Amino acid sequence: MLAISSSYSLNTQRLKRFQSLIALLLLCVILTVLSDKFFSSENGLNVLRQTAVNICIATGMTLVILTGGIDLSVGSILALCGAATAGLLKNGMVLPSLDIFIGFTVLGAILAAMLIGWLIGLFNGFVITKFNVPPFVATLAMLTIARGFTMLYTQGQPISNLGQQFVYIGAGSFLGIPVPVWIAALVVLIAAFITQKTKLGRYIYAIGGNETAAKFSGINVSKVKMVVYAMAGAMAAIGGIIVTSRLDSAQPNAGISYELDAIAAVVIGGTSLSGGRGTVWGTVMGAIIIGVLNNGLVLLNVSPFWQQVVKGAVILLAVIIDKLGDKKE
Amino acid sequence: MNKWIRYGLLVLVIALLGYNSIYIKKLSDIKQDTSGKFGVKAFVQKLWKEKLPAKLQTAVTIDTLQTAIQSNPATAFEKYTHALALGNYRYALIKTIAIVNAVNEDNVAITLSAATPVKATLVTEFVYGNALRDASGLISLKDFPNTTDLNSISEELNKIIRQQVVPSFKSSLQPGNKIECIGAVQLNKEHIHFNDLEIIPVSVKVIS
Repeated sequence: MLAISSSYSLNTQRLKRFQSLIALLLLCVILTVLSDKFFSSENGLNVLRQTAVNICIATGMTLVILTGGIDLSVGSILALCGAATAGLLKNGMVLPSLDIFIGFTVLGAILAAMLIGWLIGLFNGFVITKFNVPPFVATLAMLTIARGFTMLYTQGQPISNLGQQFVYIGAGSFLGIPVPVWIAALVVLIAAFITQKTKLGRYIYAIGGNETAAKFSGINVSKVKMVVYAMAGAMAAIGGIIVTSRLDSAQPNAGISYELDAIAAVVIGGTSLSGGRGTVWGTVMGAIIIGVLNNGLVLLNVSPFWQQVVKGAVILLAVIIDKLGDKKE
Repeated sequence: MNKWIRYGLLVLVIALLGYNSIYIKKLSDIKQDTSGKFGVKAFVQKLWKEKLPAKLQTAVTIDTLQTAIQSNPATAFEKYTHALALGNYRYALIKTIAIVNAVNEDNVAITLSAATPVKATLVTEFVYGNALRDASGLISLKDFPNTTDLNSISEELNKIIRQQVVPSFKSSLQPGNKIECIGAVQLNKEHIHFNDLEIIPVSVKVIS
């Protein structure tokens, strides 16, 4: 009896680990049957290209949620960093008092934007850990602050015509695969390495599992959380660079509600919103599921209003399945 | 690894990244160096100060434009409007007397004094597009090797409107004011209507 029970538990665990992949495969099969345009390499690459930005943001969000936190500011950080990249690339920095003009190469503008994203994330972490502000509130405030700074920096106007070299990042392909997909893959690999192979990764899971226990076992919880929020900021910045490059324009209202798509990808990917459980790979599956769903609904000519309803229902279903799984365990 | 080697490598990487990330020039050298690059700022400044004022004198009154379009649209569009791109959108420089109805955050609502009064808005916040560049009739496609340069002219003209023209009149306007206004408008050849015209202001004077 015990053997049957433990074998059942093992099978359930395996099923749970692959539930996102199974859901994705099921979705693909259904859409292939319903639309003859869905199953093609061209459409597949299109979905991946469109999903790349969400994968970058959602990967950072996964790290944050694994610690038991949340980051609502990633959409605004994306916009601010995108604007900063475009602004630095196009106008550089002028220091009239010193009679100096500092021009930025594509590499320079990208590094500067990532640094800005990192610093904003670090500030989020600082506020959350040092002043005990709930992550929801602190990052909600940053959502508004970063959006405001974006509007101030761009004066509410798009910054366009950024040059072919920069546009290649968002619109180009390398070895037949869109560059944004390569970038997203690199981001995911780094995050997966951190979570699975490093001390920091173990600390992240430990804090999400039981913050008090983690503190008593000697983990510097504040430091880990600050690093995690900083990484989420930097990944949002990467998303901003891709969006800006793809449009050849930094839009001041870019990234609105992207944080919700990122959270949805994390949740669908099986990461627990209370922290301590989940993987970056699950989030990638979650993001692709959302991308495939968006793509499929468009191919099936479903009204955009219904698309939102379906997306919401899928997120709800994912959370319910997750909770039911928790109960059984 | 030895601590010093590690720090040394780190400094080297930072130096390499820094060297490939930024370049520093004297501001005065940049201002002088326009070789090989389209100097949009200088071009638009010249356009704005030397060529546009004469064009503004030839702006058509709203009454004339309306009457001409009603009697013979093809001739009217040919005579009074311009466009660089193909399609139904044409652009005209119009001059008009108007009464201010409301000063809003994004625009100024006005009623144009025409034979049949027309409601319109002076765009003051979201100044986009190619209306002024095209309406002026001063730019020719043949003179520019790429669309980036052409678009940058519109961008620069719109910037002047936002930064110089709008601040020069908006704060002093009040509902009931009578103004004399010259601006650019977009008209659709296929759907001609004069109500709710959006005017990109180039010159606005308060008469009373």
